[in-house]
Amino acid sequence: MAGQVKMAAIPPGSPANAGGGAARASAGSDSKAAPMKRDNQTALRWRGARNLIPALLFLSLFFLAPLIGLLLRGVLEPTPGLGNYEQLFANSAYARVLFNTFAVGGLVTLISLLLGFPLAWVITLVPRGWGRWLLSIVLLSMWTSLLARTYSWLVLLQATGVINKTLMALGIIDQPLEMVHNLTGVVIGMSYIMIPFIVLPLQATMAAIDPMVLQAGSICGASPWTNFFRVFLPLCRPGLFSGGLMVFVMSLGYYVTPALLGGAQNMMLPEFIVQQVQSFLNWGLASAAAALLIAITLALFYVYLKLQPESPVASSTAR
Amino acid sequence: MLLSPNAMGLRLRIGLYLTTGAIAAFLLLPILFIVLLSFGSSQWLVFPPPGWTLKWYGQFFSNADWMDAALASLKVAVLTTVCAVALGLPTAFALVRGKFPGREFFYALFTLPMIVPLVIIAVAVYALFLKLGYTGTLFSFVVSHVIVALPFTIISIINSLKLFDQSIEDAAVICGASRLQAVMKVTFPAIRPGMMAGALFAFLVSWDEVVLSVMMASPTLQTLPVKMWTTLRQDLTPVIAVASTLLIGLSVLVMLIAAVLRRRNPASA
Repeated sequence: MAGQVKMAAIPPGSPANAGGGAARASAGSDSKAAPMKRDNQTALRWRGARNLIPALLFLSLFFLAPLIGLLLRGVLEPTPGLGNYEQLFANSAYARVLFNTFAVGGLVTLISLLLGFPLAWVITLVPRGWGRWLLSIVLLSMWTSLLARTYSWLVLLQATGVINKTLMALGIIDQPLEMVHNLTGVVIGMSYIMIPFIVLPLQATMAAIDPMVLQAGSICGASPWTNFFRVFLPLCRPGLFSGGLMVFVMSLGYYVTPALLGGAQNMMLPEFIVQQVQSFLNWGLASAAAALLIAITLALFYVYLKLQPESPVASSTAR
Repeated sequence: MLLSPNAMGLRLRIGLYLTTGAIAAFLLLPILFIVLLSFGSSQWLVFPPPGWTLKWYGQFFSNADWMDAALASLKVAVLTTVCAVALGLPTAFALVRGKFPGREFFYALFTLPMIVPLVIIAVAVYALFLKLGYTGTLFSFVVSHVIVALPFTIISIINSLKLFDQSIEDAAVICGASRLQAVMKVTFPAIRPGMMAGALFAFLVSWDEVVLSVMMASPTLQTLPVKMWTTLRQDLTPVIAVASTLLIGLSVLVMLIAAVLRRRNPASA
């Protein structure tokens, strides 16, 4: 116990430069006496870090190294330089892929926000039991196999599918609409998948709004519409923003749904990357596209984190 | 006031509820539809089906290709779960209990696979295994799945570990238990719901994984989603509806288990 007191006396900010001291880092270090002060100091600074090693090793070997390797290929193959990036922006077919990616991402975000908002709102409005049922539906659709849901849309939207047949039977259309293997299919299928990712954060934001604020608004003479647009909606903004941003980021990187429901005309970046690798063995161009996608994703995610300052690790430090 | 349904005005309220009902139906529609279709008798996926049958299930279960794929899926998912928990457990301990610089950074690092688009992870890992000559092996499947399952496991174990009061473990040590005994007999039972939730997430992520699996697959080894994927590109046979229903069924089952766990320990999942 004496050692522990001693170690506690060491100022936490002092430099730890004991050679090889990190190897001694262990969770149980505080029970040992302190024959070498510096080693213990390092041990204290790195207490428990040893437990990180297995996962860190795994991740470095199978995730980080391949990822860095991939990014390097973008500037090394076929010849060193920025040729791949030049191609990506100069070639009109490739530029179109970029445009498609953003257009679909934006459209999907907009639609899932429009559909997610009323759902999240009603979940906060109705009695708890009903709200729980609605939330279960949202969670069910979120956790149901992605491929199963995409297959379902493929069947539903096809020319002889239920939707076309119903619309024709009702006399709304007299020829089947082309809703699959084109932009419409991608947007329907992806918006469907993204709605839960809007509803969950938005509902959390709405549930945290103090009803008294809205009451105050109406007491002060705001009409319901004014109250909605000038009080309620601004208070929902954090949820709308983080949900929307998350969905936008996820949409940019989605592969399965666009690949199955989309057509050759509206390829997006992820499909483009796979195509370059599998069909054309053009690793350089694929890697450049991948680097671009990662850069956009991380930049947007950084903005997302800025909007949500809470980190699960930071809040655990106080013990 | 607009936020209380009673004061909202009848027409607005009905409008809002109808819209929500339609959106909820929209969320449920494809799921119910596919389950019903898997029992429908029409080869051409006509709805409503002319009759009900189990013949597509028969075809699924008597076809060696589909059965092999389902079995491979199960094997990969179980191995992924075991590895993800084995790697995630010490990591969560380090991130919650450890006192070392850069924990924020490490946390971000371990959740990075959740953020980087799957396609990019798939292509990168594929390139690695191509070089090593491991494509199409069980090893490549499990490794790639663990990469994306690990963040889920780590997060749910972190959550339950943060809820656990370490002074209880310390009390056990003071009462004479070794640290290892205390962790095994006191801490692990207490955080079991979080570990279970982490394991379930890992299982589900692996069970449903398409993108990585399609890149890793070989003619001799493919998981259920891969088999579905390749079949889908040829035709829309109702057998895929059967496979989908099985995927949905297992997801629902796992979700129910998670819900039960959550009820027992409200903040663990």
